[in-house]
Amino acid sequence: MSTAYKQKETDIDDISVLEPEATYSYADYLRWSFEERVELIKGKLFRMSPAPKRSHQEISTVIGGEIFSFLKNKSCRVYHAPFDVRFPNSPDDTDDQTSTVVQPDICVICDHSKLDDAGCKGAPDLIVEILSPSTASKDLNEKYQLYEEYGVKEYWVVYPGECVLEIYDLQDGKYVSRGKLVREDEVTSNVLPGLKVKLKDVFEEVDG
Amino acid sequence: MKEYKTKETDINDISVLEPEATYSYADYLKWSFEERVELIKGKLFRMSPAPKRSHQEIGGDLFVSIYTFLKGGICKVYQAPFDVRFPSRSEDADDQTFTVVQPDICVICDHSKLDDAGCKGAPDPIVEILSPSTASKDLNEKYHLYEEHGVQEYWVVYPGECVLEIYDLQVGKYVSRGKFVREDAVESKVVKGLRIALSDAFEGID
Repeated sequence: MSTAYKQKETDIDDISVLEPEATYSYADYLRWSFEERVELIKGKLFRMSPAPKRSHQEISTVIGGEIFSFLKNKSCRVYHAPFDVRFPNSPDDTDDQTSTVVQPDICVICDHSKLDDAGCKGAPDLIVEILSPSTASKDLNEKYQLYEEYGVKEYWVVYPGECVLEIYDLQDGKYVSRGKLVREDEVTSNVLPGLKVKLKDVFEEVDG
Repeated sequence: MKEYKTKETDINDISVLEPEATYSYADYLKWSFEERVELIKGKLFRMSPAPKRSHQEIGGDLFVSIYTFLKGGICKVYQAPFDVRFPSRSEDADDQTFTVVQPDICVICDHSKLDDAGCKGAPDPIVEILSPSTASKDLNEKYHLYEEHGVQEYWVVYPGECVLEIYDLQVGKYVSRGKFVREDAVESKVVKGLRIALSDAFEGID
């Protein structure tokens, strides 16, 4: 099981000295100066893949761009990775009491009080994750449960290899799948009423 | 839809078929063109000419795992191209049968469903490996077809992300058992004892 948490005192510039089984906090995370991107979910370290495939980036660009143009002159904000989102247990938790910080592919935040210089503190309203073989397990298990538990109202999961997008809506604290959408479909959002994204545009660069 | 009428002559050019027409298995048997097609409730679905390598590798690995497990037993496993007809009633003739599909992998334990042409009636389980060109059909038309015809277990593979989702038929409706990833092993409830480590099926995919 996890080692008892104790804040590490010094800066770390080599990821290999981190212990995979240890429990880390956001305060530790802030002291890591190595280049590799990592996430912490309930103190557990997740290394991120160095460079996503081109199709991943193209899908992220189109979804992010469509949401961005929709939100122009509206109060919600959209961000894409790398953008740190912390999930403290209570809003007044300090950095060393916060054990979860992730970088969703895309997130939308409507409550500006959650935004600070470091990113977002608290649950975004909408999160989009684009799956790959190296992230599928984390996106469908740890992050799914994390977003559900912390009240992310809408979770979009994209399968770029098959041009499929599944939407989960939070209902009474549990995610319920609204169904799987394919290239011929259009995505709408309960969180952003009026938003329409054509999946034909999102998956334009994917062939087959 | 147009009223159904069996066509009398052989057809060797797919382009003469009408996308909006209703066809039967009797028509299908008269088609000699090379393109592979499926019929779902009389509607024509063209199949993609050649699936990607990852599709074939995952399909091959899943097939071999199932084949090895079933060897010496009663159940048989088949790989596409293998025709599976779904008549509304078992005594329906070819021109009364409007659905014939080629699942990527299917298991049949009831030998009375097997004939020279393939399988007549619901296999169990069925595995479909998704691609951008088949995702809509696999998640919509085939999902409803398999559900309606009582396929107890439907496995849907997302090769691009190394994910496999299993649907179990519960009181006539599919319920997702969950999504399984490379670190998981999947088990069949229909074929008792069948267990596949997905690290094998998804080996070499990055």
